[in-house]
Amino acid sequence: MSLAPSIQLPAEDHIPGNKGMWAGILCEMTEFAVLFAVYFTARVFFPQEFRAGPGNLNLLAGTLNTLWMISGSYFVVNAVIAIRQNRPALSLRFLYLVFVSAAAYMMTKYLEFEWNVTHGVTGGNGAFFTVYYYLTLTHMVHVFWGMIGLGWVIFRTRGGAYTPTDHEGMESFASYWHATDLVWLIIFPLLYLLH
Amino acid sequence: MSHKQTVTVLWLLLVVLTLGGSLLGETVEPGYALMLVVTLTMAIKGRMVIDHFMELKNANRLIRRLMQAYFYVLPLATAVSYLLATQQL
Repeated sequence: MSLAPSIQLPAEDHIPGNKGMWAGILCEMTEFAVLFAVYFTARVFFPQEFRAGPGNLNLLAGTLNTLWMISGSYFVVNAVIAIRQNRPALSLRFLYLVFVSAAAYMMTKYLEFEWNVTHGVTGGNGAFFTVYYYLTLTHMVHVFWGMIGLGWVIFRTRGGAYTPTDHEGMESFASYWHATDLVWLIIFPLLYLLH
Repeated sequence: MSHKQTVTVLWLLLVVLTLGGSLLGETVEPGYALMLVVTLTMAIKGRMVIDHFMELKNANRLIRRLMQAYFYVLPLATAVSYLLATQQL
């Protein structure tokens, strides 16, 4: 017996959202791949700085931001599942939770940068810190773009625009949000854990 | 297990892996063992999100393979750069 679409993965060979969004996501992943290549190169040329660097960062902030990102991803996949089950009110509640996760991420980032200034962690401290700032600030910008997209998807969901058979816009946003989560899942260990 | 149940279990697992990773990063001496755990965890977490949160497990083959490849290449590049850097210390 096959499961109903709402409680299993979508059909074989589907494209989540639309092709345009996937072009954007692949561009985003390529952009970060270039930035990661800079990290790898700098690590080889400045091994001492990268060995000592993570110990100067606020691990609690990095951990909290990882939890906000993976939770946001979890909430958005639930929002998509809910709309497939024709439960827009539940979907909307999950989208609000995505917003809360994103806002918590932004607040944590603000507090982390404030902590950095207090502890003398600036971009001028060496290669590791330069890489730390450009990777985390670029990621933060992508989260900000995602929050604008989230606002649109919330607006559309409130207006009843999405149905179990037509919710391409929500899936496109979800795919972008997951991609931004994926990038953070690489940034976090590279900067905060890998001494 | 339904898709919804699967993503809930994976979310909890991702939280545990994140907290465990932070604990290791804070307490374990730098070295190859830590690097191996960190890169493997990076690859596993990425695959969970790609296959189940992003719903690419049975999606369009090109998109799925490109995204999955990212989480083979990046952990491998991380390990190689770590090895090269450690040799210079």
